[in-house]
Amino acid sequence: MTAVSLRGVGKAYGDKDAATFAALRDVDLDVETGEFLILTGRSGCGKTTLLNIASGLATPTSGSVKVEGVDLWSISDAERSNLRNRTMGFVFQFPSLLPGLTLAQNVTLPLEFSAEEHADAAGRARELLETVGLGHRADALPRELSAGQQQRVVVARSLINRPTLLLADEPSSDLDQDTEAEIMEIFSRIHREQGITIIMATHARNLISFGTRHLEMADGTLRPDGVAAAGNGD
Amino acid sequence: MIRLARSGISSNPLRSWLVGGCALLVAAMVLTTVVISRGGQESLRLARERLGADVVVVPRGSVSGVEGALLLGNATNTYMPRGVVDKVRSVPGVAQASPQLYLTSMANSSCCSVSLMFMFAFDPVTDFTIEPWLQEKLGQDLQEGQAVGGSDVFVPEGEDKIKLYGYDFDLVANLERTGTNLDQTLFMTYPTAYAMQQVSQTEAKMALPVLSDTVSSVLVKVADGADRSEVAMAIGEAVPEVDAVPSVQMFSSYGDQISGVLRTLIVIVVLTVILSLTLMAVIFWMSVNERSRQIGVLRALGATQRFVLLAYMTEAALLALAGGLAGVVLAAVVVYFFHDLLVSALGFTILLPSAPSLIGLVVVGMLGALAVAAAAAFVPALRASRQEPAVAMRE
Repeated sequence: MTAVSLRGVGKAYGDKDAATFAALRDVDLDVETGEFLILTGRSGCGKTTLLNIASGLATPTSGSVKVEGVDLWSISDAERSNLRNRTMGFVFQFPSLLPGLTLAQNVTLPLEFSAEEHADAAGRARELLETVGLGHRADALPRELSAGQQQRVVVARSLINRPTLLLADEPSSDLDQDTEAEIMEIFSRIHREQGITIIMATHARNLISFGTRHLEMADGTLRPDGVAAAGNGD
Repeated sequence: MIRLARSGISSNPLRSWLVGGCALLVAAMVLTTVVISRGGQESLRLARERLGADVVVVPRGSVSGVEGALLLGNATNTYMPRGVVDKVRSVPGVAQASPQLYLTSMANSSCCSVSLMFMFAFDPVTDFTIEPWLQEKLGQDLQEGQAVGGSDVFVPEGEDKIKLYGYDFDLVANLERTGTNLDQTLFMTYPTAYAMQQVSQTEAKMALPVLSDTVSSVLVKVADGADRSEVAMAIGEAVPEVDAVPSVQMFSSYGDQISGVLRTLIVIVVLTVILSLTLMAVIFWMSVNERSRQIGVLRALGATQRFVLLAYMTEAALLALAGGLAGVVLAAVVVYFFHDLLVSALGFTILLPSAPSLIGLVVVGMLGALAVAAAAAFVPALRASRQEPAVAMRE
C-alpha cells in the first residue's frame, strides 16, 4: 500500500512579477507503507520543501499529493490538520519544543488538537520518554536539557499519536556524532518494531544505511534511486 | 488551550507585563471615570433631594457660597434678618417657608469621623424637611438638647452624649449616607442653638457666635400646582435682598464642574484606550513574528487555524483579565482611600458606589480592558492562524 504519493509536484517561490525560484520541479514519488526513505542532497536542493508538501504544510504550485489515499488539497485546512494530527509525526531540524511546557506536556501537545479522548495521555508520555531515555526528566523544562536530549523529546512527541508516517527533516544536523547515532538508533527501533513509514531528509550521506531506500535530490528534482540500503542500519 | 496561552504568557515576561500594564491602565481609567462621573452626579442629586425644598432662598449674591457650604462644607458667613422668612412666606405660590441657620464648622471634632463637622439650626415649628423624617423615625419632635447627625456623626466611645462648646447633646438619630457634607453635619433646633451659645459663654474656650434673629437660608415648599421657577422669580422680585433658586438648579455650577471634569476624563480615557490599543497591537504583532516558527510547529502537529486564533485570543484575554483586575483594584483603592484628596482636587463631592454597584463597575472596567486587548490581538492572531505552516516555520 502506498503511504505517500506525489504526482507532477512543483513548487515555485516568488511573486508573479518577480523572478521565481523553483524549489521542486515535476516530482513523482511513491513511498510504500513501512518504508524508511532517506532523502539526501545539498542544502537548498528542495528536501525540506518536499517534506512540507508531502505533509500538507506547504501548498504545491502544481501536481497532486496523496497521503494514505487522501488528496491533501481536495480537503479543507481543518481536515488536513486533523489528518496530520491522526497519522503523522514530525521531527524538525530546529528546536521545536514549547519553552513554557514541561517535557511531558510537550510530548502530549499533539493530543490537545485532537477531538478524541486520550485516556492516560500522561502515562503514555512517560512511557515514550522512557523509550528515548528521558523518563526521569518528565517534569523538566526544555531549557534544562541539551540539544540532543531535546531532540529525543521531539521524537517522543512525534510518536504520541501513534502515527503511521514519520517525517524527519535533518533531525541530527545540529547534534554531535554520538547523539546523532542515538537518534538514528531510536528511528531504526521505531521502524523495526512499529513498522512506521519514515521519510527522513538529511545532507549526511553516512546515514543512508539506516534507511530501506535512498533518493538523491538536486535542483528540485529526484534522481533515480541511489544505492539502496542493505538493511535498516542494524 | 489555556495551557498553551499560559505558556505563551510565561515565554516573554516583559511583553506580558506590558500588555497587562495597558489593560491595567484601561480598566483603571474606565472605572475611575465611571465612579467619578456617576458619584458626582448622584451626590448632587441626593444633596438636592435632601434639601427637601422646592426653592432655596439665600442672601443676595451668596448662592455659590451657600452651595459650597452645603456641598463641600466651605465656611460661609452669609446671614439675613429673620424677618425675610415672613416676607418669603407671603409671596403667592409659597406654601411653606422655614429658616435654617449655619452655626459653625468644627475641625477634628471627636464626634465626627471626618475632619470637618458643620452645625446647622432649624426651626422645628415651620420645618418641613427634617421634622417629618424625625416624626416617622422617632415618632416625636426634636427637643431642646437633642440633635440629629449625618452618617459620619457619632457619640464618642465611652460617652453617652456629644459635648460641643461645653454643651451636652443627645444624638437621637443619624441620617442616611449621601456622600455630601450633610453626612458630617449636626442639626439642632434654634432653641438648642441659643442654649448652646449661652453655655459656650462660660464653658467653652471660645464662645459660639450665634446671631440672634438671623437666618442663613430659607427653604420653601411651593403650593400644589405652582411652578417652582415662577415662585422663585416672584420671591426675588418681592424680596430684593435675597436670591431664590429652584432646588433643581441648586449646585448648577458644581454640575457644570462635574461635566467639565467628565469631559476631561473622557478625553483621557479615549487617549488611554488609543495608546493602549496601539501598544498592545504592536506587541501582539511582534509576538506573532517572534513565535512564527512555534505557530508553524503547532500547525504541523495538528492545530487548526481556529485553534491558533483562539489560543492567541485566550492569551490576550488572560493578560487583559489579570491586568484589568489589577487596574480595577488600583482604581478602587485610589477612589476609596484617597476620597477626601480627590474631592478637594476635583472641587465636588463623590458618592462612592455601594458594594453591588461597585461589582457592576468592576465588571465594566474589566470588560473595557478585555475589549481593548481583544481588538488589539485579533488581527495579529488572525494573521498567525492563516499563515501557511511551512512559511511560518521558515520565518
